[in-house]
Amino acid sequence: MTWSAAAPAVTAAFLASLVEVVEAFTIVLAVATLRGWRPAAMGTTVALALLAGLVLALGPLLGQIPIASLQLVIGVLLLLFGMGWLRKASLRAAGIIPLHDEAAIFAAETARLGAQQLRRQRRLQWVAGVTALKAVLLEGLEVVFVVIAVGAGRGLLVPASLGALGACALILGIGAVIHRPLSRVPENLLKFSVGVMLSAFGVFWTGEGLGIGWPGQDLALPLFAALFLAAGLVGGLLARKFRVEFAS
Amino acid sequence: MTTITELAAELIGMFAGEKRLTLEVLAVVATTGWLVDFMRLDSILGGAVLLFGCLALLIASVCRASRARAR
Repeated sequence: MTWSAAAPAVTAAFLASLVEVVEAFTIVLAVATLRGWRPAAMGTTVALALLAGLVLALGPLLGQIPIASLQLVIGVLLLLFGMGWLRKASLRAAGIIPLHDEAAIFAAETARLGAQQLRRQRRLQWVAGVTALKAVLLEGLEVVFVVIAVGAGRGLLVPASLGALGACALILGIGAVIHRPLSRVPENLLKFSVGVMLSAFGVFWTGEGLGIGWPGQDLALPLFAALFLAAGLVGGLLARKFRVEFAS
Repeated sequence: MTTITELAAELIGMFAGEKRLTLEVLAVVATTGWLVDFMRLDSILGGAVLLFGCLALLIASVCRASRARAR
């Protein structure tokens, strides 16, 4: 395995994890602020263990599937997932749908847990733990998919997992120091970048699964990424134009 | 039970959050497969159908959502 082969997979897993971990961290922080770090840490640990188990179980299992079928299925799923992210990021960049607001999510989650605090005092530790678990599990599912999708077909599961873990460590480290929702992370830019990379991977693998031999093999990936980046930007510009025209 | 339902909803939303785009992408993939496998279209041309089809669908989907929300 060379770095040039592993770099796109590691980068995609790292950036996708960065986005999801920021979102999960906001909820975990809300839980910790209201009920202390114990239920927050318990919920997070259980969720991370479940997610790691999923990667360990599915990774080797996928190795048993014929490579062309695996490339086709994972390629199509990557296309759907990546284009979905790219579409949403373009619409957010154009101001059509609101940006993800970590501070607002933190406030809403704190208020929700606060209201429960008044209603059912005894079950609160349990509810707080489950809230953290659910947040990490739901956000982590997307990370698990990206890690498996970019890593499993080419024996890059370990480097992709390390990329995801690196993002986790980075966000948790920053979060532990500042103790606030990470609202300054350029989440939409990250989502845009990940959408571009996953869509490029998706076209590449879907094509290979269909028996298409891409000219230049892996070197086609940066070209695909550049084209998806351009399409996302053009889509965003047109969307903004429609919005302005309709408003005037 | 709620957690399992939410997990299932999250999984479905990951790949089919925007139903029309999902169906269109699947249609482009199926068309490419049909052209390459059954019509013996040159592999590079098949690749171009897949790539440019997806790019066009992305732009069209963003424009459609923008117009729908503006109304």
